[in-house]
Amino acid sequence: MKVEDVVCPFCGCLCDDLVVEVENNRVTSVENGCTLANEKLMEDHRLKNPIRRERGSWKDVSYDAAIQETAEILLDADRPLLYGWSGTHGEAQSVGVHLAELLGAVIDNTSTVCHGPSILAIQEVGHPGCTLGQVKNRADVIVYWGANPIDAHPRHMSRYTTYADGFFVKDAFKERKVIVIDVRKTESSAVANEFVKVDQGGDYAVLSALRAIVRGKGDLIPVKVAGVTREQLFRVADICKNAKFGAIFFGLGLTMSPGKNKNIRNAIELTEELNRHTKFTISPMRGHWNVYGSNEVFTWISGYPYAVDFARGIAFYNPGETTSVDILRRGECDACLVVASDPGAHFPRACAEHLARIPTVQIDPHVNATTHLATLQIPVAVTGIDAEGTAYRMDGVPIRTRKLYEGTYPSDLEILGKIYARVKEAKGS
Amino acid sequence: MRVILKTRPRAKPKIPIEAETIIPQNFLRKNDIRVYEGNKERKLEDLFYVTTEGPAVSPDQVEVILTGDTGVIKRVGEYMNAGRIIVEGDIGMHCGNFMSAGEIIIRGNADSWLGREMRGGVIRCEGDAGHYCAAGYRGEKRGMRGGMVEVLGNAGDFAAEYLSGGEVHIHGNCADLPGVEMRGGTLTIGGDCLRPCGNMTGGTCRIFGTAHQFLPTFRRNGSEVAEYGGKRYRMAVYRGDIANRGKGTVLIRE
Ligand code: SF4
Repeated sequence: MKVEDVVCPFCGCLCDDLVVEVENNRVTSVENGCTLANEKLMEDHRLKNPIRRERGSWKDVSYDAAIQETAEILLDADRPLLYGWSGTHGEAQSVGVHLAELLGAVIDNTSTVCHGPSILAIQEVGHPGCTLGQVKNRADVIVYWGANPIDAHPRHMSRYTTYADGFFVKDAFKERKVIVIDVRKTESSAVANEFVKVDQGGDYAVLSALRAIVRGKGDLIPVKVAGVTREQLFRVADICKNAKFGAIFFGLGLTMSPGKNKNIRNAIELTEELNRHTKFTISPMRGHWNVYGSNEVFTWISGYPYAVDFARGIAFYNPGETTSVDILRRGECDACLVVASDPGAHFPRACAEHLARIPTVQIDPHVNATTHLATLQIPVAVTGIDAEGTAYRMDGVPIRTRKLYEGTYPSDLEILGKIYARVKEAKGS
Repeated sequence: MRVILKTRPRAKPKIPIEAETIIPQNFLRKNDIRVYEGNKERKLEDLFYVTTEGPAVSPDQVEVILTGDTGVIKRVGEYMNAGRIIVEGDIGMHCGNFMSAGEIIIRGNADSWLGREMRGGVIRCEGDAGHYCAAGYRGEKRGMRGGMVEVLGNAGDFAAEYLSGGEVHIHGNCADLPGVEMRGGTLTIGGDCLRPCGNMTGGTCRIFGTAHQFLPTFRRNGSEVAEYGGKRYRMAVYRGDIANRGKGTVLIRE
């Protein structure tokens, strides 16, 4: 069976033009997808049923027993942590937030290791952003800063920027100028019109220098700033000022290097400065599939986009204190529920060690690095393959995903709904 | 009156205790003081051995002494407006949040957000301070507004972020971006620091060690002499941050 207009369940681009072939409850071919999409859609390594670690080996358990045990672990904890959420749909995320509130838990999503600093900066100075459609149709200057889309978001350039012809940009490859700013050459810098190589940790100074140049105070700038020559800084500032419509996309090279949220704030303030000359926007390259959606859902319900602490019955938010990496590194939490993410693969070693010390339950379709730290794992359907739901693209556009076939696994929503019901019953609320 | 709070042994000693109720005025009337251990509300006596000595008729006659495993206790001295708190060891995050008067003395290290958005009073930390010492809460446009924070050791990243008033004195080194977004007040750094005063719009920062990776967007504006630790030093004077139309002053020892 051929299914058209399929939404890719992998990265924040949420490409919605895939065509897949489905046979016997398996995706057998993918058209239009990048390598990442093909791997994700055609994988065949699901965990068959819930498993529990008992004296060093795994034992199969029923869904009902696994759900009951998860509820008991969370109810027993004094500082439970509910982490992940970016690989699942908004409806399941919503149950997660309500569960956290009921338990007095901390709930956090993968922003904590990607664009959390971008959110902090946006909360300080706002977000002059736009949709990817606007970029595709209007932007004649694109800046990728600390991002390598060819590797991380392989179709970003072909769908929205470098190679995507738009309504006002008829021949994109010729008409668009692409600037890549990074600490090293990448595949993306190879296709750029201008590559700016910044010394490691020097982004903040380069951003400050560009702001000063754009506002006519370039006389201050020394011959080199963080490895970038004065001439190149002036050239980049000129390209940006002379754009009809410019768009900056930034990645973890900016959010997770020294300065963190202050780098992003500086980049946003550069964008504001450029808007005195022309139209310029700035947007984060959100990586995990529905991480933007987790920020949206958390915010609707709690007022905060990630790192929400319900320990006192009300929502408290303070990244650095209530973020998962910090909580785990300090050894604070005494139970953890991981949903639709893999902290075992992404978190620092001290955090992974703490996850292995406490009861950790993972809800995820696959065996991954976190499985090796967990005490219990409950396999579920993959949203966008055998579960449906709403996800948000990196520019904040919600997109409904469909089931490609009727599978046998329960969805995240079903499992979380049952855990929530058991916790609610035990609490008598 | 002297109140001595000694921590009791706990089954899960790393779970933070939130204790904004530990302020001198709350001990005056022997209120039923509650604190949180993770997501559980506890009586003060469940987590501390409490000893009270002597009388007091006003909060400024109350001295609270915290001893034991105090490094995980957060929000001690929050909204404090009189009296004194002495922490014999380390203290957890947010010590002295929003305090307006009184004195907090920390014999050990202080975790992050020491003196967050403080309005008045004095905090003296004899060890090191964590990140965001004397800074603001997330998204807040003004950090510390008055009073004095003195750290005898080093401070982490973003010390005195959004400083708007009062005085911050770090005797040792500061990590990345001290005085970032600073708009008033005085920040004195006895040792070295990295990228001080990015995006500052006002206030004065004095650096008596080395300012590594000083940002290119400050304009040299002559020299002057400053006194520090009983000695006089010639200081290079800069104005900025020009990237932000700033009118702050940074003095760096020549
Ligand atoms: S770019 Fe991202 S969303 Fe698009 S097909 Fe590739 S992995 Fe999927």
